[in-house]
Amino acid sequence: MNNAIRTKGLTKKANGRELVSNINLHIIKGEIYGFLGQNGSGKTTIMKMLTGLMIPTCGEIELLGNLLTEKTKSVLKRVGSVIEYPIFFDHLTAIENVKLHCDYLGFYDDKAISEALDLVHLKGVEKKQVKNFSLGMKQRLGIARAIITKPELIVLDEPTNGLDPVGIKDVRDLILMLNKDYGITFLLSSHILGEMEQIVDRIGVINNGKLINEVSLADIRKQRTDYIELVTTDVEKTVYLLESELQISNMKIIQDKKIRIYDWTQSLNTISKMLVLHDIEIEGIQKHISSLEDYFYKQINGGRHSE
Amino acid sequence: MNKLVKLEWIKLKQKSILGEIVIYLSILMLLPLFFIKMVSADFGQNFDSLFELIKSIQRGMVLLGASMISQVFIEEYKNKTITLSFGYPISRKKLFLAKVLFIALFIFMVTIVSFLLTGVATYLLNQVLPIIHFSITGSNIVSYFSGMIVGSFIVTLISFIPLFFFAIWKRATVSTVICAIIAMNLPNFSPIFHFNNELMIVILCSIGALSVYLSIKTADRIGEI
Repeated sequence: MNNAIRTKGLTKKANGRELVSNINLHIIKGEIYGFLGQNGSGKTTIMKMLTGLMIPTCGEIELLGNLLTEKTKSVLKRVGSVIEYPIFFDHLTAIENVKLHCDYLGFYDDKAISEALDLVHLKGVEKKQVKNFSLGMKQRLGIARAIITKPELIVLDEPTNGLDPVGIKDVRDLILMLNKDYGITFLLSSHILGEMEQIVDRIGVINNGKLINEVSLADIRKQRTDYIELVTTDVEKTVYLLESELQISNMKIIQDKKIRIYDWTQSLNTISKMLVLHDIEIEGIQKHISSLEDYFYKQINGGRHSE
Repeated sequence: MNKLVKLEWIKLKQKSILGEIVIYLSILMLLPLFFIKMVSADFGQNFDSLFELIKSIQRGMVLLGASMISQVFIEEYKNKTITLSFGYPISRKKLFLAKVLFIALFIFMVTIVSFLLTGVATYLLNQVLPIIHFSITGSNIVSYFSGMIVGSFIVTLISFIPLFFFAIWKRATVSTVICAIIAMNLPNFSPIFHFNNELMIVILCSIGALSVYLSIKTADRIGEI
Protein backbone atom coordinates (compact mmCIF):
# COMPACT_ATOMS: atom_id res chain seq x y z
CA MET A 1 0.00 0.00 0.00
CA ASN A 2 1.18 3.52 -0.82
CA ASN A 3 1.58 5.35 2.49
CA ALA A 4 1.83 9.12 2.87
CA ILE A 5 2.72 8.65 6.53
CA ARG A 6 3.98 5.52 8.22
CA THR A 7 5.32 5.39 11.74
CA LYS A 8 6.84 2.46 13.57
CA GLY A 9 7.06 2.41 17.37
CA LEU A 10 6.97 6.21 17.52
CA THR A 11 7.55 7.29 21.12
CA LYS A 12 8.18 10.61 22.85
CA LYS A 13 9.31 10.91 26.46
CA ALA A 14 9.71 14.17 28.39
CA ASN A 15 10.69 14.63 32.03
CA GLY A 16 10.60 10.87 32.55
CA ARG A 17 6.99 10.61 31.28
CA GLU A 18 5.83 8.97 28.06
CA LEU A 19 3.78 11.52 26.13
CA VAL A 20 3.08 9.12 23.28
CA SER A 21 4.13 5.53 23.04
CA ASN A 22 4.61 2.99 20.31
CA ILE A 23 2.52 4.65 17.62
CA ASN A 24 2.22 2.62 14.42
CA LEU A 25 0.38 4.87 12.04
CA HIS A 26 -0.58 4.19 8.42
CA ILE A 27 -1.99 7.04 6.38
CA ILE A 28 -2.62 6.27 2.75
CA LYS A 29 -1.74 8.73 -0.03
CA GLY A 30 -4.74 10.76 -1.14
CA GLU A 31 -6.90 10.19 1.93
CA ILE A 32 -8.12 12.58 4.59
CA TYR A 33 -7.20 11.11 7.94
CA GLY A 34 -8.40 12.48 11.26
CA PHE A 35 -7.04 12.15 14.77
CA LEU A 36 -9.66 11.79 17.47
CA GLY A 37 -8.68 12.15 21.09
CA GLN A 38 -9.30 14.12 24.23
CA ASN A 39 -7.18 17.11 25.27
CA GLY A 40 -3.73 15.94 26.28
CA SER A 41 -4.15 12.56 24.60
CA GLY A 42 -1.03 13.12 22.48
CA LYS A 43 -2.45 14.19 19.10
CA THR A 44 -0.42 17.40 18.89
CA THR A 45 2.76 15.67 20.08
CA ILE A 46 2.44 13.11 17.27
CA MET A 47 1.78 15.89 14.75
CA LYS A 48 4.81 17.84 16.01
CA MET A 49 7.04 14.82 15.49
CA LEU A 50 5.59 14.21 12.02
CA THR A 51 6.39 17.78 10.98
CA GLY A 52 9.92 17.93 12.40
CA LEU A 53 9.05 20.28 15.29
CA MET A 54 9.87 17.64 17.88
CA ILE A 55 12.48 14.93 17.76
CA PRO A 56 11.11 11.47 18.71
CA THR A 57 12.71 9.65 21.64
CA CYS A 58 12.54 6.45 19.59
CA GLY A 59 10.74 5.00 16.60
CA GLU A 60 10.65 5.71 12.89
CA ILE A 61 8.78 8.21 10.75
CA GLU A 62 8.38 7.74 7.03
CA LEU A 63 6.81 10.59 5.07
CA LEU A 64 5.93 10.09 1.39
CA GLY A 65 8.29 7.13 1.29
CA ASN A 66 11.24 8.97 2.86
CA LEU A 67 12.62 8.49 6.33
CA LEU A 68 12.37 11.66 8.44
CA THR A 69 15.27 12.32 10.82
CA GLU A 70 17.13 15.47 11.88
CA LYS A 71 19.70 14.71 9.19
CA THR A 72 17.18 13.88 6.46
CA LYS A 73 14.55 16.58 6.64
CA SER A 74 14.35 17.36 2.91
CA VAL A 75 10.99 15.57 2.65
CA LEU A 76 9.48 18.40 4.73
CA LYS A 77 9.62 20.48 1.54
CA ARG A 78 6.65 18.40 0.41
CA VAL A 79 4.71 18.86 3.65
CA GLY A 80 2.59 21.82 4.81
CA SER A 81 1.40 22.23 8.37
CA VAL A 82 -0.32 24.34 11.00
CA ILE A 83 0.29 22.91 14.47
CA GLU A 84 -1.53 24.05 17.64
CA TYR A 85 -2.20 27.61 16.49
CA PRO A 86 -0.83 29.60 13.59
CA ILE A 87 2.43 31.34 14.51
CA PHE A 88 3.72 34.39 12.68
CA PHE A 89 6.22 37.19 12.99
CA ASP A 90 3.57 39.63 14.18
CA HIS A 91 5.50 42.78 13.24
CA LEU A 92 5.70 41.63 9.61
CA THR A 93 2.81 41.91 7.15
CA ALA A 94 0.86 38.88 5.93
CA ILE A 95 2.66 38.89 2.58
CA GLU A 96 6.08 39.29 4.26
CA ASN A 97 5.35 36.28 6.48
CA VAL A 98 4.28 34.18 3.52
CA LYS A 99 7.29 35.24 1.45
CA LEU A 100 9.62 34.44 4.35
CA HIS A 101 8.14 30.94 4.45
CA CYS A 102 8.66 30.58 0.69
CA ASP A 103 12.26 31.84 1.00
CA TYR A 104 13.01 29.09 3.53
CA LEU A 105 11.60 26.51 1.15
CA GLY A 106 13.28 28.00 -1.93
CA PHE A 107 9.88 28.52 -3.56
CA TYR A 108 9.54 31.66 -5.66
CA ASP A 109 6.14 32.06 -7.31
CA ASP A 110 4.26 35.30 -6.68
CA LYS A 111 1.23 33.97 -8.56
CA ALA A 112 0.94 30.98 -6.22
CA ILE A 113 1.16 33.33 -3.21
CA SER A 114 -1.60 35.49 -4.61
CA GLU A 115 -3.78 32.44 -5.39
CA ALA A 116 -3.34 30.98 -1.89
CA LEU A 117 -4.33 34.28 -0.24
CA ASP A 118 -7.31 34.46 -2.56
CA LEU A 119 -8.41 30.93 -1.64
CA VAL A 120 -8.59 31.84 2.05
CA HIS A 121 -10.21 35.24 1.35
CA LEU A 122 -7.28 37.31 2.55
CA LYS A 123 -6.75 39.28 -0.64
CA GLY A 124 -6.63 42.99 0.12
CA VAL A 125 -5.26 42.66 3.65
CA GLU A 126 -1.93 41.14 2.70
CA LYS A 127 -0.06 44.38 3.48
CA LYS A 128 -1.48 44.57 6.99
CA GLN A 129 0.76 43.61 9.92
CA VAL A 130 -0.23 40.22 11.33
CA LYS A 131 -0.47 41.71 14.85
CA ASN A 132 -3.66 43.42 13.67
CA PHE A 133 -5.25 40.15 12.50
CA SER A 134 -8.05 38.36 14.34
CA LEU A 135 -7.58 34.71 15.35
CA GLY A 136 -9.77 33.64 12.44
CA MET A 137 -7.67 35.65 9.98
CA LYS A 138 -4.48 34.17 11.44
CA GLN A 139 -5.95 30.69 11.09
CA ARG A 140 -6.75 31.34 7.43
CA LEU A 141 -3.31 32.85 6.81
CA GLY A 142 -1.78 29.77 8.44
CA ILE A 143 -3.70 27.55 6.05
CA ALA A 144 -2.65 29.74 3.10
CA ARG A 145 0.98 29.38 4.17
CA ALA A 146 0.59 25.62 4.47
CA ILE A 147 -0.91 25.18 0.99
CA ILE A 148 1.10 27.76 -0.93
CA THR A 149 3.69 25.34 -2.27
CA LYS A 150 1.01 22.75 -3.11
CA PRO A 151 2.55 20.12 -0.82
CA GLU A 152 1.66 16.45 -1.18
CA LEU A 153 0.80 16.17 2.51
CA ILE A 154 -0.80 18.74 4.80
CA VAL A 155 -1.00 18.37 8.60
CA LEU A 156 -3.56 20.63 10.27
CA ASP A 157 -4.05 20.64 14.03
CA GLU A 158 -7.50 22.03 14.91
CA PRO A 159 -7.80 23.97 11.63
CA THR A 160 -11.22 25.41 12.45
CA ASN A 161 -10.22 26.90 15.83
CA GLY A 162 -11.29 30.52 16.08
CA LEU A 163 -13.35 30.45 12.90
CA ASP A 164 -17.00 31.45 12.62
CA PRO A 165 -19.50 29.02 11.01
CA VAL A 166 -18.90 30.49 7.55
CA GLY A 167 -15.14 30.24 8.05
CA ILE A 168 -15.48 26.62 9.20
CA LYS A 169 -17.44 25.74 6.07
CA ASP A 170 -14.87 27.56 3.88
CA VAL A 171 -12.01 25.59 5.44
CA ARG A 172 -13.91 22.33 5.06
CA ASP A 173 -14.64 23.06 1.40
CA LEU A 174 -11.02 24.09 0.83
CA ILE A 175 -9.70 20.84 2.33
CA LEU A 176 -12.12 18.77 0.26
CA MET A 177 -11.24 20.70 -2.90
CA LEU A 178 -7.46 20.35 -2.39
CA ASN A 179 -7.90 16.67 -1.65
CA LYS A 180 -10.10 16.01 -4.66
CA ASP A 181 -8.53 18.32 -7.26
CA TYR A 182 -4.86 18.09 -6.27
CA GLY A 183 -4.80 14.68 -4.54
CA ILE A 184 -3.27 16.21 -1.40
CA THR A 185 -3.25 13.90 1.63
CA PHE A 186 -4.51 15.48 4.84
CA LEU A 187 -3.93 14.64 8.47
CA LEU A 188 -6.35 16.60 10.65
CA SER A 189 -7.30 16.80 14.27
CA SER A 190 -10.38 18.45 15.69
CA HIS A 191 -12.49 18.43 18.81
CA ILE A 192 -15.61 18.94 16.73
CA LEU A 193 -16.51 15.37 15.90
CA GLY A 194 -19.37 16.41 13.62
CA GLU A 195 -16.89 18.42 11.58
CA MET A 196 -14.51 15.47 11.29
CA GLU A 197 -17.35 13.21 10.25
CA GLN A 198 -18.04 15.44 7.27
CA ILE A 199 -14.46 15.48 5.99
CA VAL A 200 -12.38 12.48 6.94
CA ASP A 201 -12.07 9.12 5.20
CA ARG A 202 -10.41 7.37 8.12
CA ILE A 203 -9.76 8.08 11.76
CA GLY A 204 -7.15 7.14 14.32
CA VAL A 205 -8.35 7.17 17.92
CA ILE A 206 -5.67 8.39 20.34
CA ASN A 207 -6.05 7.88 24.05
CA ASN A 208 -3.41 8.40 26.76
CA GLY A 209 -0.66 8.65 24.16
CA LYS A 210 -1.59 5.42 22.42
CA LEU A 211 -3.18 4.76 19.06
CA ILE A 212 -6.15 2.59 20.01
CA ASN A 213 -7.64 1.98 16.60
CA GLU A 214 -7.56 3.03 12.95
CA VAL A 215 -10.86 2.66 11.14
CA SER A 216 -12.56 4.04 8.05
CA LEU A 217 -15.71 6.13 8.33
CA ALA A 218 -17.37 3.71 5.89
CA ASP A 219 -16.72 0.85 8.34
CA ILE A 220 -18.14 2.84 11.23
CA ARG A 221 -21.25 3.54 9.16
CA LYS A 222 -21.59 -0.16 8.31
CA GLN A 223 -21.38 -1.10 11.99
CA ARG A 224 -23.86 1.48 13.15
CA THR A 225 -27.32 0.47 14.28
CA ASP A 226 -29.81 3.28 13.80
CA TYR A 227 -33.23 2.82 15.38
CA ILE A 228 -36.46 4.51 16.48
CA GLU A 229 -36.96 4.49 20.23
CA LEU A 230 -40.58 4.49 21.38
CA VAL A 231 -41.76 4.94 24.97
CA THR A 232 -45.37 3.92 25.58
CA THR A 233 -47.65 2.90 28.47
CA ASP A 234 -48.91 -0.25 26.70
CA VAL A 235 -45.96 -2.12 25.26
CA GLU A 236 -47.80 -5.36 24.36
CA LYS A 237 -50.55 -3.65 22.39
CA THR A 238 -48.04 -1.38 20.67
CA VAL A 239 -45.98 -4.35 19.51
CA TYR A 240 -49.09 -6.08 18.23
CA LEU A 241 -50.20 -2.97 16.30
CA LEU A 242 -46.76 -2.38 14.80
CA GLU A 243 -46.72 -5.96 13.51
CA SER A 244 -50.29 -6.12 12.29
CA GLU A 245 -50.82 -2.59 11.00
CA LEU A 246 -47.37 -1.67 9.71
CA GLN A 247 -45.76 -5.09 9.21
CA ILE A 248 -42.78 -4.12 11.39
CA SER A 249 -41.10 -7.17 12.82
CA ASN A 250 -37.50 -6.09 13.56
CA MET A 251 -37.88 -4.58 17.03
CA LYS A 252 -36.82 -5.17 20.60
CA ILE A 253 -38.44 -4.41 23.94
CA ILE A 254 -36.05 -2.59 26.26
CA GLN A 255 -37.04 -2.26 29.90
CA ASP A 256 -40.82 -2.09 30.59
CA LYS A 257 -41.90 0.81 28.45
CA LYS A 258 -39.32 1.13 25.71
CA ILE A 259 -39.37 -0.41 22.25
CA ARG A 260 -36.50 -0.10 19.77
CA ILE A 261 -37.56 -0.41 16.12
CA TYR A 262 -34.72 -1.33 13.75
CA ASP A 263 -36.98 -1.51 10.69
CA TRP A 264 -36.83 1.70 8.66
CA THR A 265 -39.65 0.84 6.21
CA GLN A 266 -42.05 3.15 8.06
CA SER A 267 -41.43 6.76 8.96
CA LEU A 268 -41.55 8.16 12.45
CA ASN A 269 -44.62 10.14 11.44
CA THR A 270 -46.52 7.07 10.14
CA ILE A 271 -45.79 5.11 13.32
CA SER A 272 -46.95 7.89 15.64
CA LYS A 273 -50.10 8.56 13.54
CA MET A 274 -51.09 4.88 13.63
CA LEU A 275 -50.57 4.63 17.39
CA VAL A 276 -52.59 7.78 18.07
CA LEU A 277 -55.45 6.41 15.94
CA HIS A 278 -55.47 3.32 18.15
CA ASP A 279 -55.46 5.39 21.37
CA ILE A 280 -51.96 4.36 22.41
CA GLU A 281 -50.40 6.89 24.72
CA ILE A 282 -46.95 7.85 23.43
CA GLU A 283 -44.62 9.20 26.10
CA GLY A 284 -41.77 9.64 23.72
CA ILE A 285 -40.61 8.81 20.21
CA GLN A 286 -37.29 9.67 18.59
CA LYS A 287 -34.84 8.66 15.92
CA HIS A 288 -31.45 7.52 17.16
CA ILE A 289 -28.60 7.62 14.69
CA SER A 290 -25.33 6.37 16.06
CA SER A 291 -22.49 8.66 15.03
CA LEU A 292 -18.72 9.06 15.07
CA GLU A 293 -19.21 10.53 18.53
CA ASP A 294 -20.70 7.24 19.79
CA TYR A 295 -17.87 5.31 18.21
CA PHE A 296 -15.32 7.61 19.78
CA TYR A 297 -16.78 7.32 23.29
CA LYS A 298 -17.03 3.53 22.93
CA GLN A 299 -13.36 3.44 22.06
CA ILE A 300 -12.08 5.64 24.85
CA ASN A 301 -14.35 4.84 27.77
CA GLY A 302 -16.64 2.02 26.87
CA GLY A 303 -19.47 4.19 25.60
CA ARG A 304 -19.81 6.59 28.56
CA HIS A 305 -20.01 10.19 27.37
CA SER A 306 -17.62 12.19 29.48
CA GLU A 307 -18.59 15.65 30.71
CA MET B 1 24.04 29.34 4.39
CA ASN B 2 24.22 32.90 3.00
CA LYS B 3 20.48 32.88 2.42
CA LEU B 4 19.76 31.60 5.93
CA VAL B 5 21.93 34.35 7.44
CA LYS B 6 20.07 36.99 5.38
CA LEU B 7 16.69 35.59 6.46
CA GLU B 8 17.69 36.09 10.11
CA TRP B 9 17.90 39.83 9.41
CA ILE B 10 14.52 39.88 7.60
CA LYS B 11 12.82 38.33 10.66
CA LEU B 12 14.02 41.04 13.05
CA LYS B 13 12.46 44.35 14.04
CA GLN B 14 14.97 46.21 11.92
CA LYS B 15 14.01 49.80 12.76
CA SER B 16 14.34 49.23 16.49
CA ILE B 17 17.72 47.52 16.03
CA LEU B 18 19.01 50.34 13.84
CA GLY B 19 17.85 52.83 16.50
CA GLU B 20 19.72 50.83 19.14
CA ILE B 21 22.90 50.90 17.03
CA VAL B 22 22.70 54.67 16.56
CA ILE B 23 22.49 55.10 20.35
CA TYR B 24 25.47 52.78 20.94
CA LEU B 25 27.61 54.48 18.28
CA SER B 26 26.76 57.98 19.48
CA ILE B 27 27.65 57.20 23.09
CA LEU B 28 30.79 55.17 22.43
CA MET B 29 32.34 57.69 20.05
CA LEU B 30 32.18 60.50 22.61
CA LEU B 31 33.28 58.47 25.62
CA PRO B 32 37.11 58.52 25.18
CA LEU B 33 37.44 62.29 25.31
CA PHE B 34 34.82 62.53 28.03
CA PHE B 35 36.76 59.97 30.09
CA ILE B 36 40.11 61.76 29.59
CA LYS B 37 38.58 65.11 30.49
CA MET B 38 36.45 64.02 33.45
CA VAL B 39 38.16 60.91 34.94
CA SER B 40 41.82 60.53 34.07
CA ALA B 41 44.01 62.75 31.89
CA ASP B 42 46.70 60.02 31.91
CA PHE B 43 44.97 58.30 28.98
CA GLY B 44 45.64 61.35 26.83
CA GLN B 45 49.40 61.28 27.31
CA ASN B 46 50.35 58.89 24.49
CA PHE B 47 48.79 56.81 21.70
CA ASP B 48 49.08 53.44 23.49
CA SER B 49 47.15 54.63 26.58
CA LEU B 50 44.49 56.24 24.41
CA PHE B 51 44.08 53.13 22.27
CA GLU B 52 43.80 50.93 25.39
CA LEU B 53 41.02 53.23 26.58
CA ILE B 54 39.22 53.07 23.20
CA LYS B 55 39.48 49.25 23.10
CA SER B 56 38.10 49.02 26.61
CA ILE B 57 35.20 51.35 25.72
CA GLN B 58 34.39 49.39 22.54
CA ARG B 59 33.85 46.29 24.68
CA GLY B 60 30.52 47.97 25.49
CA MET B 61 29.38 46.40 22.22
CA VAL B 62 29.17 43.10 24.13
CA LEU B 63 25.91 44.51 25.46
CA LEU B 64 24.62 44.89 21.89
CA GLY B 65 25.63 41.26 21.43
CA ALA B 66 23.39 40.30 24.37
CA SER B 67 20.54 42.25 22.81
CA MET B 68 21.03 40.46 19.48
CA ILE B 69 21.20 37.04 21.18
CA SER B 70 17.96 37.90 22.94
CA GLN B 71 16.20 38.87 19.72
CA VAL B 72 17.60 36.11 17.51
CA PHE B 73 17.30 33.22 19.98
CA ILE B 74 15.30 33.98 23.15
CA GLU B 75 12.48 35.95 21.50
CA GLU B 76 12.07 33.21 18.88
CA TYR B 77 11.57 30.66 21.66
CA LYS B 78 9.24 32.94 23.62
CA ASN B 79 7.09 33.80 20.58
CA LYS B 80 7.35 30.18 19.42
CA THR B 81 8.43 31.40 15.95
CA ILE B 82 11.37 29.00 16.33
CA THR B 83 8.87 26.18 15.61
CA LEU B 84 8.43 27.62 12.11
CA SER B 85 12.16 27.19 11.47
CA PHE B 86 12.15 23.64 12.87
CA GLY B 87 9.42 22.71 10.36
CA TYR B 88 11.63 23.59 7.38
CA PRO B 89 13.84 21.03 5.67
CA ILE B 90 16.92 22.39 7.43
CA SER B 91 18.66 20.71 10.37
CA ARG B 92 18.63 22.48 13.72
CA LYS B 93 22.42 22.57 13.76
CA LYS B 94 22.41 24.45 10.45
CA LEU B 95 19.69 26.81 11.67
CA PHE B 96 21.63 27.59 14.85
CA LEU B 97 24.84 28.00 12.87
CA ALA B 98 23.08 30.55 10.64
CA LYS B 99 21.86 32.45 13.69
CA VAL B 100 25.33 32.45 15.28
CA LEU B 101 26.97 33.57 12.02
CA PHE B 102 24.44 36.37 11.66
CA ILE B 103 25.07 37.66 15.19
CA ALA B 104 28.85 37.31 14.75
CA LEU B 105 28.92 39.22 11.45
CA PHE B 106 26.55 41.83 12.82
CA ILE B 107 28.52 42.50 16.02
CA PHE B 108 31.87 42.39 14.20
CA MET B 109 30.80 44.92 11.57
CA VAL B 110 29.06 47.28 14.01
CA THR B 111 32.14 47.19 16.27
CA ILE B 112 34.40 48.00 13.30
CA VAL B 113 32.16 50.96 12.44
CA SER B 114 32.19 52.00 16.08
CA PHE B 115 36.03 51.87 16.23
CA LEU B 116 36.22 53.99 13.07
CA LEU B 117 33.68 56.54 14.26
CA THR B 118 35.32 56.75 17.69
CA GLY B 119 38.76 57.31 16.11
CA VAL B 120 37.48 60.00 13.75
CA ALA B 121 35.31 61.68 16.41
CA THR B 122 38.14 61.71 18.94
CA TYR B 123 40.52 63.23 16.40
CA LEU B 124 38.06 65.88 15.19
CA LEU B 125 36.84 66.85 18.68
CA ASN B 126 40.44 67.16 19.80
CA GLN B 127 40.94 69.82 17.11
CA VAL B 128 38.24 71.91 18.76
CA LEU B 129 38.93 71.06 22.42
CA PRO B 130 42.59 69.99 22.71
CA ILE B 131 42.80 67.33 25.40
CA ILE B 132 45.23 64.83 23.88
CA HIS B 133 48.88 65.88 24.20
CA PHE B 134 50.58 64.01 21.36
CA SER B 135 50.49 64.03 17.59
CA ILE B 136 49.20 61.11 15.52
CA THR B 137 51.77 59.38 13.29
CA GLY B 138 51.35 57.06 10.31
CA SER B 139 52.36 54.03 12.38
CA ASN B 140 49.70 55.01 14.98
CA ILE B 141 47.04 54.81 12.25
CA VAL B 142 48.28 51.39 11.09
CA SER B 143 48.26 50.16 14.71
CA TYR B 144 44.75 51.54 15.14
CA PHE B 145 43.44 49.64 12.09
CA SER B 146 45.06 46.34 12.99
CA GLY B 147 44.01 46.72 16.66
CA MET B 148 40.50 47.59 15.52
CA ILE B 149 40.15 44.25 13.65
CA VAL B 150 41.54 42.22 16.56
CA GLY B 151 39.45 44.23 19.06
CA SER B 152 36.22 43.66 17.06
CA PHE B 153 36.97 39.96 16.88
CA ILE B 154 37.47 39.87 20.67
CA VAL B 155 34.19 41.74 21.27
CA THR B 156 32.38 39.29 18.97
CA LEU B 157 33.69 36.24 20.81
CA ILE B 158 33.00 37.66 24.29
CA SER B 159 29.44 38.50 23.16
CA PHE B 160 28.70 34.79 22.82
CA ILE B 161 29.46 33.94 26.48
CA PRO B 162 25.76 33.98 27.54
CA LEU B 163 24.55 32.15 24.40
CA PHE B 164 24.56 28.52 25.48
CA PHE B 165 23.58 28.59 29.13
CA PHE B 166 21.47 31.72 29.55
CA ALA B 167 19.94 32.09 26.06
CA ILE B 168 19.42 28.61 24.62
CA TRP B 169 19.20 26.54 27.78
CA LYS B 170 17.52 28.94 30.25
CA ARG B 171 15.98 31.27 27.63
CA ALA B 172 16.34 34.20 30.09
CA THR B 173 16.83 37.72 28.72
CA VAL B 174 17.73 39.45 32.01
CA SER B 175 20.36 36.83 32.91
CA THR B 176 21.81 37.10 29.39
CA VAL B 177 22.21 40.88 29.78
CA ILE B 178 23.68 40.63 33.30
CA CYS B 179 26.15 37.99 32.10
CA ALA B 180 27.17 40.29 29.23
CA ILE B 181 27.68 43.25 31.59
CA ILE B 182 29.92 41.15 33.84
CA ALA B 183 31.86 39.70 30.89
CA MET B 184 32.55 43.08 29.30
CA ASN B 185 33.73 44.59 32.59
CA LEU B 186 35.93 41.76 33.84
CA PRO B 187 39.06 42.85 31.89
CA ASN B 188 38.72 46.35 33.43
CA PHE B 189 38.81 44.87 36.92
CA SER B 190 41.63 42.37 36.35
CA PRO B 191 44.36 44.78 37.68
CA ILE B 192 42.46 45.06 40.98
CA PHE B 193 42.65 41.27 41.36
CA HIS B 194 46.28 41.28 40.13
CA PHE B 195 45.19 39.25 37.14
CA ASN B 196 46.87 39.56 33.76
CA ASN B 197 44.56 41.60 31.53
CA GLU B 198 45.50 39.82 28.32
CA LEU B 199 45.08 36.42 29.92
CA MET B 200 41.63 37.48 31.11
CA ILE B 201 40.66 38.41 27.54
CA VAL B 202 41.96 35.09 26.23
CA ILE B 203 39.91 33.22 28.86
CA LEU B 204 36.76 35.21 28.03
CA CYS B 205 37.21 34.62 24.29
CA SER B 206 37.68 30.90 24.96
CA ILE B 207 34.47 30.76 27.00
CA GLY B 208 32.65 32.57 24.16
CA ALA B 209 33.99 30.08 21.61
CA LEU B 210 33.04 27.15 23.86
CA SER B 211 29.54 28.58 24.26
CA VAL B 212 29.14 28.74 20.46
CA TYR B 213 30.44 25.19 20.09
CA LEU B 214 28.07 23.78 22.72
CA SER B 215 25.09 25.70 21.29
CA ILE B 216 25.53 24.15 17.86
CA LYS B 217 26.63 20.74 19.10
CA THR B 218 23.60 20.28 21.36
CA ALA B 219 21.06 22.05 19.12
CA ASP B 220 18.96 18.89 18.75
CA ARG B 221 18.72 18.25 22.49
CA ILE B 222 18.90 21.59 24.34
CA GLY B 223 17.26 23.46 21.48
CA GLU B 224 14.07 21.33 21.75
CA ILE B 225 10.86 23.37 22.01
